[in-house]
Formats: sequence, structure tokens, C-alpha cells
Amino acid sequence: MIRLAMKSLLNRRASVLLTVIAIAVSVTLLLAVERVRDQVQSHFANTVSGTDLIIGARTGQTQLLLSSVFHIGSMTNNMSWESFADISSRPEVSWAVPISLGDSVQGLPVVATTNAYFEHFKYADKQPLEFSQGQPFASDKDVVLGADAAEKLSKALGDDIIIAHGSGGISFSEHDEHPLTVTGVLQRTGTPVDQAVLVTLHSLEMIHSGGAGHDEEHNHNHEHEHNDAHADEHEHHGEAPAESISAALLGLKAKPLALRLQRQINTYDKEPLTALLPGMTLQQLWKTLRVFEQALTAISAMVVLIGLLGMLTIMLASLRERRREMAVLRAVGAGPGTIFGLLLSEALLLTVVGAFSGLLLLYGLQWSLAGVIQSQTGLIFTSSWPSISEWWRIVLVIGAGFMLSLIPAWRAYRQSLADGLTVKI
Amino acid sequence: MNAVNIEKLSFSWAGQKPTLDIPAWQVKQGEAVLLRGPSGSGKSTLLSLLAGINTPEQGRLDLFDTAFSSLSGRQRDRYRADNIGYIFQQFNLLPYLSALENALLACQFSKKRRQRLAEQGTSAEATALEMLKRLGLSSEQIQQQAHTLSVGQQQRVAAARALLGAPKLLIADEPTSALDAEHRDTFIQLLLELSSQNNTTVIFVTHDAALSSYFDKHVELNELNQAGAKP
Repeated sequence: MIRLAMKSLLNRRASVLLTVIAIAVSVTLLLAVERVRDQVQSHFANTVSGTDLIIGARTGQTQLLLSSVFHIGSMTNNMSWESFADISSRPEVSWAVPISLGDSVQGLPVVATTNAYFEHFKYADKQPLEFSQGQPFASDKDVVLGADAAEKLSKALGDDIIIAHGSGGISFSEHDEHPLTVTGVLQRTGTPVDQAVLVTLHSLEMIHSGGAGHDEEHNHNHEHEHNDAHADEHEHHGEAPAESISAALLGLKAKPLALRLQRQINTYDKEPLTALLPGMTLQQLWKTLRVFEQALTAISAMVVLIGLLGMLTIMLASLRERRREMAVLRAVGAGPGTIFGLLLSEALLLTVVGAFSGLLLLYGLQWSLAGVIQSQTGLIFTSSWPSISEWWRIVLVIGAGFMLSLIPAWRAYRQSLADGLTVKI
Repeated sequence: MNAVNIEKLSFSWAGQKPTLDIPAWQVKQGEAVLLRGPSGSGKSTLLSLLAGINTPEQGRLDLFDTAFSSLSGRQRDRYRADNIGYIFQQFNLLPYLSALENALLACQFSKKRRQRLAEQGTSAEATALEMLKRLGLSSEQIQQQAHTLSVGQQQRVAAARALLGAPKLLIADEPTSALDAEHRDTFIQLLLELSSQNNTTVIFVTHDAALSSYFDKHVELNELNQAGAKP
């Protein structure tokens, strides 16, 4: 019977092919939504690892997380170096990495930090950053490039590089006086670090003082107020590499301390600050985005339904032309039940072939677009076997196709009962 | 033994006047009967009863030693697959199968037909090939898709399909109406020859009087059928 169904389908290959394509594309869409969601989540989750707290000036937690780790968006306020020094000297803090953001080189984010960054920043499963060439900062004139940044700027060890102030990537003539030298290139991590141009806090400070960027001016004034307020502390800590920083990554001696320290920082009395736990903030972000993801899933489910309805339409339309076929089958002894089964297996074949073509299409797209997606968004798509929930979606699609195909099968059953061997067309 | 035994049979389509009312009719086993009936004489209805698609409302219809009219729908389908060959006026074949596959179709649906061939020490495929060759199809035509064959060739493939596996009864519904005189004569000769070899009873429906010389017996459906005769 399956063989008969296949030959009958082959005989109507044009409309059958279109049906299969419609089902395949819709299944691809359905699976892609989930796959993109999963990849984005694991990409985000992989980006920061081993960091217990992220602190910055008072702002939204999501904003602080996105700008400090993912270099998405910008921070409007900075936190003072004094606050950073104060918090990082607390006994429960094991390490602290200050970072300053807001500048860019040809669209690549400039991350000003200290050598502590290379020591403590971890990604994926607590993997440290590794140098493919060179070494960390030895002086304030040194630059370390992420793997992609080195490629995009086509800079290698020993090359000079000029950092512009602001995000426009325009080099002011004044900056030419402060050319920096590439002393290290990092290995690829698959995180936003790959895009980063890393400089020391002090060299960024020099660029700013020399560059006299207009939009930063206001900020500087703002911070001076803080500096005045904590003038005496300033002296205690000795020479600060920067007046203020955008954010800081903290590692704690014991993880359970994170919540308490977070509360203390959020209620810090000398300066309004925000502290966040990266994992928890990501969870909140996913919660916010879940609505969109659900909407996308719903839409793609509708598209699958449309694909299956297309199959239903074609099968119902073909029933009229196939009355002769049914009559011949009945004449050789096929009962109406056999006709029912024939239509059912045809529909099942269409959905199964459609669903698996969709799966193949998904892998094809993933394979062919992986490069583009990575260079545009930094997302790395790993080609893994379909997950259990993806199998479930495929099973659901096939199940839905089966349910819908009961309609033409039933019609064919009724029709073959009524027609018998005499077809009146 | 009677191949067909009808007693006091009547049938009417839903909500209509009776189209069939046959007090009695017998066809002997092995006979070749020509059944003549103009359109509207209840011919299609009688054939659908004989093939077991429909059942009489009253009376009985026996085929050989089986009380055919009292079988269930499923049993009648099975009986048809095993014991009845059926040839349509036209469009007998599934266009997407080859001539050979079409000829084998009835045997695919019936284990009994295959068994009968096995008892004769042959297979369905071998017999089908032999039969199609005898019916005048070339080896290439046997492998061709059915829709590429001429009408005459298609009818011959239909005959092979109907007779393959030695069914007890062959019902042919004006199988020659689409053929020209020459093809018609060879077709009937071959059909009757193959039937008698298998001891198959033939009910051949036509309104072509020129064919009567080939058959043992002629029956006018109008004489059998009393429907419409009564007021």
C-alpha cells in the first residue's frame, strides 16, 4: 500500500513537491526559532563565567550587564574609582577587574582595563583568556586585540594603532600624538571579547585628556564633584589609574556572599551604585524576552498549519480526479477501508518527507549561514543533533498532519462507498 | 452448479422507485453469458450487486456456493478480490503503474489468487508476462506506464488483470465499446479463450448485437427485470 501511495504521489509530483516544500519551509522556521533562542542563550551564558558580581553606577541591571559584558548599548554614568577601590578592598572580594567603555575603533569597542582582566575574566566553562600571540600590557602604550578585532583592523604584533575618542571612530589629529602598539592578540573565544580592543585604563585617560571630546566633557565635570566629595579617601589609595570607570567585575571568595554584597552595594551610601549577579540578570532578561519568543513560536506554528492546510487542500482537490483510481482499486478487491488507508499513508508520507526535508534545510541554512551570522552578530552556531524538544516539534507536526489527513481519507472513504465501480463524472 | 443464482431480488437507490426486480435468474458455472441491456435498464445496478459493491434489499443473490448477498461489506470485498474479475468500459488501469504492475494488481490484493497460481507451479509475475504476451503486448509495452498504451492495449491489460489467478467469475462491462471492429473480435476471442482455460464463468455486458455469436447464451435484461413492468 505504501508503494502504491508513493507511485500515486510520484504521478502528481508537481503539486506534491510544492506541498512538501511548503511543509519543509514551515518546519524549518518552527525549528529555527527554538534553535536561535537556544544558541543566543548559550552564547550569552558562555560569555561570562566565574564572575560573581558586576558593579557600576546606578542603572538598570540588564543595561549594566549588556554594556559591561556584551558591549551592547552604553553606560550613561560612571562610578568613581574611590568606590571601586573601596569595594574591591572588602575582605569577601577575591579579585576585581575595572573596565571603562564608550570608545570605539572602526566600530570595535575599546575596553580599558588592567592586566587583572586577562587573569580573571573567564568565559564558557570557566575558561581563561589565552594569548595566541604576545602578552598582556607591559606599559600604558600597549594594546591587546581580540581575535576578530585583529583580523578586522588587520593589525599584528608591533603595529601602531590610534584610538579615537567617542564612538564615531573618527581619529582626531591630537590622538596621533598617542599612538599605541599592539603587544598581544587573544585566541578566539566566541564571545564579544573577540571584537574588543583592550587598552589600559591609564592610556584611555590620556586619550581623553588629550582628545578633549565634547560629549564627554559633561561627564568629567560630573565626576569631579565626586572626587571633591571624597578627596581625603583619594589620597589614601594613592595613585588611581583613572578618575572613574564604567563597571567592574568582581570575584568573591565564597559564592554565597554575593547576595549580601549585592544588597550592600545597591545601598552604598557614598555613591548610587548597581550590583548584579550575571546569572540571575540573564534569567530576568530571558523572562522579558520570553513573550517575544513565544510570539515567534506561535507564528511559526501557524505557518506550519498553513503548510499542512495546503496539503489538505491539494489532497481534497485531487480526490475528484482520482475517482477512477479508487474505482479501479475497488474493482480489484480493495475495500473502502483500504482506500482510507491509502489516503492516510499518502498524507503521512508527505508530512514525514516534508518534516525531514525541513530538518535538512535547517542544517543546510545553519551550515551555509554560520559564517555570516558569526561575523554580523558574533553568534556561533554549533551544529548539534536535533534536541529532544526539536524531535517533539517534528512529532507534533507529523501528528497534526496525520489528524488533518483524516479529513481527505474520510472523504475518499465515503466517495468510494458511494461511487463503487461506477463513476459518474 | 450455478455460478449465479438470483431469487426474488429487488433493489432501489435511496428514495427512488425500484430499479431492479428479478424474480429468478441462473447462470451455470463455466458458461459465457452475453447480457444485453440498453442504458436505464438497471444494468449498472445489477453489476454492482454482482460485484458486491451493493447488496439487494430483498431476495437472495448466491455466487457459486456462497450466499453472497448475506456477507458483510468486508467479506464481499474479500470475495471480490479472490473470485471476481472485473473489466470496465474504459480507464481500467492506474496510469502511474506499468502494464505489468497493473496486471498484477488483483493478485496483490488476493492471497488466494497467488495460491492458485502457486498450486499450478507458477508465479503471478510469470503468468502475467505470459498472458500479456499472448494478448499481443511487446516486452517494452509490458514495462511501459499504462497511460502511454493505446485504448485497445489498455483493455487487454485489464483482461489480464481480471483473469490472473483464475477467478471463478468474470464481469465485463462493455469492454469493447471503445475498440474498433477488428480489435473487438480478437479481444473477445482471447478473453473467452483465457476464461475457458481457467473454467471462469463470464458475464459479458454489451448492447452490440454483433457479438452474440461468441456466447453460449444471450440474456435480455429487460426480460429479466420486472421493475417498471408492473404498474
